[in-house]
Amino acid sequence: MTMKTLPPLGEISDALVVEISRAAGEPAWLTEQRAEAWRFFASAEPPYWRRTDLSKFKPEQVIAAADTAATSLYQEEDLAEQGVAFTTLAQALHTHEAIIRQHLGAAIEPTRHKFLALNAALWKDGVFLYVPKNVSVELPLTVVFAMPIPGGAVIPRNLIILDDGASVTFVEEYHSVAASDQAFAAPVTEIFLGNNSTLRFVAVQTWGEDVYHIGAQKARVGHGAALEWAAVNLGARVQHIEAETALEGDGSRVEWVAATFAADHQNLLTAPWLRHIGAKTEGHMDFKTVVKDQSYTTFDGMIKIERQSRATVSRLEEHALHLSPKARSDSIPGLMIDTNDVAKAGHASTSGEVDEEQLFYMRSRGIPRDEAIHLIVMGFFEPVLDRIPNDALRQRIAEMIEAKI
Amino acid sequence: MNSDLVIKDLRVSVEDKEILKGVNLTVKAGTIHAIMGPNGSGKSTLAYTLMGHPGYTVTGGEVWYRGHNILELEPDERSKLGLFLAFQYPVAIPGVTVANFLRAAINAHRAEEGKDPKETAIPMAQFRKQLREQMAALGIDESFARRYLNEGFSGGEKKRIEILQMAMLEPKMAIMDETDSGLDIDALKIVAQGVNTLYAQHPDMGVMVITHYQRLLNYIKPHFVSVLMDGRIVREGGPELALELEEKGYDFLREEVASA
Repeated sequence: MTMKTLPPLGEISDALVVEISRAAGEPAWLTEQRAEAWRFFASAEPPYWRRTDLSKFKPEQVIAAADTAATSLYQEEDLAEQGVAFTTLAQALHTHEAIIRQHLGAAIEPTRHKFLALNAALWKDGVFLYVPKNVSVELPLTVVFAMPIPGGAVIPRNLIILDDGASVTFVEEYHSVAASDQAFAAPVTEIFLGNNSTLRFVAVQTWGEDVYHIGAQKARVGHGAALEWAAVNLGARVQHIEAETALEGDGSRVEWVAATFAADHQNLLTAPWLRHIGAKTEGHMDFKTVVKDQSYTTFDGMIKIERQSRATVSRLEEHALHLSPKARSDSIPGLMIDTNDVAKAGHASTSGEVDEEQLFYMRSRGIPRDEAIHLIVMGFFEPVLDRIPNDALRQRIAEMIEAKI
Repeated sequence: MNSDLVIKDLRVSVEDKEILKGVNLTVKAGTIHAIMGPNGSGKSTLAYTLMGHPGYTVTGGEVWYRGHNILELEPDERSKLGLFLAFQYPVAIPGVTVANFLRAAINAHRAEEGKDPKETAIPMAQFRKQLREQMAALGIDESFARRYLNEGFSGGEKKRIEILQMAMLEPKMAIMDETDSGLDIDALKIVAQGVNTLYAQHPDMGVMVITHYQRLLNYIKPHFVSVLMDGRIVREGGPELALELEEKGYDFLREEVASA
């Protein structure tokens, strides 16, 4: 695939960022946003993350795309009639500028760290999804980001907006067909759920083995709205995903599950934050991790129950399964409660090798040891796989997990 | 090939403590053989050792079955040879449905070296039919096929699922480890009926019924009864021995053994 690229990041100037934006016919407010973000990126040190190894990562050599060639959209229904917009964010600027301006950067602050600023400055790829009031989209909408050139970068910006009472399933996939040279992905996804809306959000990261993935996702959930969030993290050399669900509206809720499987020398970090802000909000997190070989994973989770919240129900479960003695999984769960009015808050965590009693039980039925381990690992991930709405995708993920075991 | 299960001078330790101290016992093919004994006599150790649990260390003896000293075989190899253990405490396997687990077990039994597992696998329709029929016979609701194995099951449900697995795998030598424990009388009758039906269909099958109480033996009639005490078989007889134990308790035997 040929695509237009920018010069390496180390050779880009403020002026060039402005020039590119203007040449694309972007509105002035966006040009200004990009320029400001670029100035932050250019002056900020890379973040120091103790558990994410960036020592071999050279951002100045990164070559980013200058168009949206890495974005592929899949939909099976004709959505235009219902007023649903599902297109690249760049394209949507022509049709939905006001709502984009209102929401872009309203969930994730671009100056939180250098790479978020990079995204705000240089995004071209990315999707815009808007579902109008009380509209339900039956079939899943999918965006796939491919790594287009070896050693390149993909910097998608996704904006998902559900108006009141809307309902949709949205899948974002990061996928490279073959392993490539050191490549870089810096996606940002912002999600806004209107009152009483329902979103099933599936995020699947299956990059090739030399990709650095530094991403952020945040969902702001309105009154009575429900978010089901399933994340699958299988690929990349280094992954650093900061994810947040903010239960802002009264009675809002989230069911949040994740499956992470690291092998070889993979270094995969997930930092999910769950913030309870409204009254009677409810959050359930169930994060599953399998580590193998010399891989290293981190679960750096936090539940924060804010002062103004009331009658919160919150539960965090995280479980890690070790398939090799040298593999490592760190779990750093946190709970911050700023109110006395909590209905229920709980936490359960396990970490260990495959259970010998389970193995013996299965082997006593004739199932060989290796196959028993396969079944146990697949069963371990089942609650996450079960939430993937698309059969072909679920099958593909199951096969990738099988192959990794 | 001898299809009797022949245990010779079996010695087993758990964490350096000797539990079985030279067990000699033969369970003949085509017979139901009760192993009775008080708590702590080594009954469950015997069951787990026969199936090859890694936590039990065999320090001496042999167990011959169908031409193999099975102590040298892996648990899955023993299963394929026809051995089956109905667990006293069945293990939960989260995320693995009863149906998928059973299909994996059946296909493991059908697998042949050098053949594509897809070729030897049980056809889906045949599997579903068998499963439905066996579940109905054991009074297990169809919804259990899609539930995760033993997760959140009651004691009685777990035991029924053990018998279901046995019925689906059609073993040649079944070991029932305290299958009656934790069952009310109705569940006990259903479980016993499941075993009896299977035995009637496979008259060559050997069944080793391990139990503390005579109660189960009212429903599964043994041909032979052996009494295990302090890691040894101390008495063997017919069904009348079970009744005698029920009446007199284990203490009379203990005294006899001590004075012998």
